[in-house]
Amino acid sequence: MVPPRSLRSLPPKGAQASLGRPGARPGAKLLAPAGSLEMAHAAVDEGADIIYVGPLGFSRRPYESEMSDDAIREAAAYARSRGAELRVVLNTFPTPYDFGRFVDKALRYAADGASGFIVTDVGLLRALRREIPDTVLHVSIGSGISNLADAAFYRDAGADVIILPYRWDVAEIEAVRRASDIGLETFLFETVQTGKLCPGKCIMSSYLRFRDWKEVEGNRDFHGSANRGAKECYRVCQANWEFGAVGSDPVEIKLRRDARLMLAQLPAFVAAGVSCFKLSGRERPVGMIRDLVRFYRRAIDEVAAGAADLGHHTAELAELRVRWVREKAKRVDTLMDRAASYVS
Amino acid sequence: MFELSTDVGNLKELREGDFSAYDAIYLGDFSCPEYPNNFSSHAELLAAGLEHVHARGQKAYLRLYAVPGNDDLAWVGDVIDTALALPFDAIEVHNLGVLRMLRERGCTAPIHLGVFGNLYTHETAKVLKDHGVTRVYPNPELSLDEVRYIAEHADIEVLVPVHGKIPLVISETCFILEHSEEGAEGACGEGSCSYQCTQEHWLKRGRDDGSRADWSLKDTGRMTLSGKDLCMVEHGERLAGMGLKHFYVHNKGEAPGYAAAVGRIYRDALERAFAGEAAGDFAPALDTLASLAREGLCNGYYFEGAGQRYIGRS
Repeated sequence: MVPPRSLRSLPPKGAQASLGRPGARPGAKLLAPAGSLEMAHAAVDEGADIIYVGPLGFSRRPYESEMSDDAIREAAAYARSRGAELRVVLNTFPTPYDFGRFVDKALRYAADGASGFIVTDVGLLRALRREIPDTVLHVSIGSGISNLADAAFYRDAGADVIILPYRWDVAEIEAVRRASDIGLETFLFETVQTGKLCPGKCIMSSYLRFRDWKEVEGNRDFHGSANRGAKECYRVCQANWEFGAVGSDPVEIKLRRDARLMLAQLPAFVAAGVSCFKLSGRERPVGMIRDLVRFYRRAIDEVAAGAADLGHHTAELAELRVRWVREKAKRVDTLMDRAASYVS
Repeated sequence: MFELSTDVGNLKELREGDFSAYDAIYLGDFSCPEYPNNFSSHAELLAAGLEHVHARGQKAYLRLYAVPGNDDLAWVGDVIDTALALPFDAIEVHNLGVLRMLRERGCTAPIHLGVFGNLYTHETAKVLKDHGVTRVYPNPELSLDEVRYIAEHADIEVLVPVHGKIPLVISETCFILEHSEEGAEGACGEGSCSYQCTQEHWLKRGRDDGSRADWSLKDTGRMTLSGKDLCMVEHGERLAGMGLKHFYVHNKGEAPGYAAAVGRIYRDALERAFAGEAAGDFAPALDTLASLAREGLCNGYYFEGAGQRYIGRS
């Protein structure tokens, strides 16, 4: 079996892992979505260093984009056989009653070949560090990290990697690099600093509506919300709302601007200390993820080889951005219509 | 017996309002450092606010800014340094990095975790206790039974909001300013704020033909609140019976007089409940509370459902 490629520039908090395993690609790692077995295979085949999967009801996605335990085991085996790794997303917040089940599931996935976890709850982070000392723990975007003191807190709490806010520039990445030796991960997105913070500081969706998983998952004994694994976030912030002061004419508005795929920042981000780039999109078509992984694999390899300018990819990036936005628009309308149709 | 608290943003509101129904006051607006003379961002006003509250026999808790970016850490640190030299009864944080800063600076005062601290489990509460946290505000999505579970299994105080609009989402920038004419010319926090948040702003999504749900949210600029007012006045007996003791009324964004009217009603209802007296007729209290709530009343998530429903005592 080919040794796994490793994300890490750091050893796990509780273990003395080697820095860069034999056979690993140099440079920053590409973390790609696997919303299905087919997507897992496509992402690995196109060169993802790490794929991430969500167990049914535990990862903030509709069930169509999550996987059964059997499928996760199969995806882990496929990844390992080709030198890649698999992370399991456990980034919903447990209910207090359900806490032990999260730990039990993590132990099972670790035994099945998962090399790490993406988590949100600080208590779960500590429990997994204790129970699975040599695993790699990523702090999910759902934790709402906003500054370098957060990074230091999570390093103390046992995390290996934090995901940085979309909005951060090179200077901020360099600042957090100086403040903590925690691994740094960024989404392959760029955005402007306006609008509502999401996720991590938002419960708008569940205030309006939510539906539990019970009919799909059997007998989970919790009550929902997207943050806790109910069927979905309705993307309230991306729908149109009427907004205005009392007594004035309202304007039609979205609550935040969409992020868009990024590229030009990659060389500077790597130089500043980013060790992992995350592509989101477990709910996207497999063909789109295949093309995106291939695209970013090339770009990251070029950066590792010393490229400082990725301008020659501009046309291809523009095309991918159009595909990304077109697909997303369809999904937002569907989600809000679905929410409106539910009985609260 | 129990503690009833609310929040006040600045010295002017503190001096002009009637907060006599409350045992404790959270000083400051954690959502917006630009809010006029906000205790959370004006270290020079802390001593006066604290003195005013203590002079009335109430406890004073200082709220720190909830979502500091890297550029905010220096001034937040200055506020902390001033606060630690004063006899605040507790300091409230929402951000775990700021919690770490408090400990680094030798904070010995009790620390409260605020609503945006993402507290969902007793295990997280235990981690935070190790950092000096003595009271947590569980995420509003939790049911009353879950809140009690956390209190018992982490052996920690829990703050239980009983009335007011539920904080749903917070921003690092001002939504009102961004969508105003001034916002197009200057970024929030760069001297361009004209405090348009003094006018009520609402987000609505609804159609008279019934093709969409009729939804409303209140927006205070950097924070969006539930359209409806959480209301637990009919459930005091249940709260007392569950062993919960620390209750809170959300005042942010409300008109002068709101905290006084609501506080009087809850002071009476909770005293009766904790004394084991018959609850009496809730209709007059509900009429008053409904008259203060433009979009009506709800129970939030306390009874295990989405946040907008209202369930009466029966």
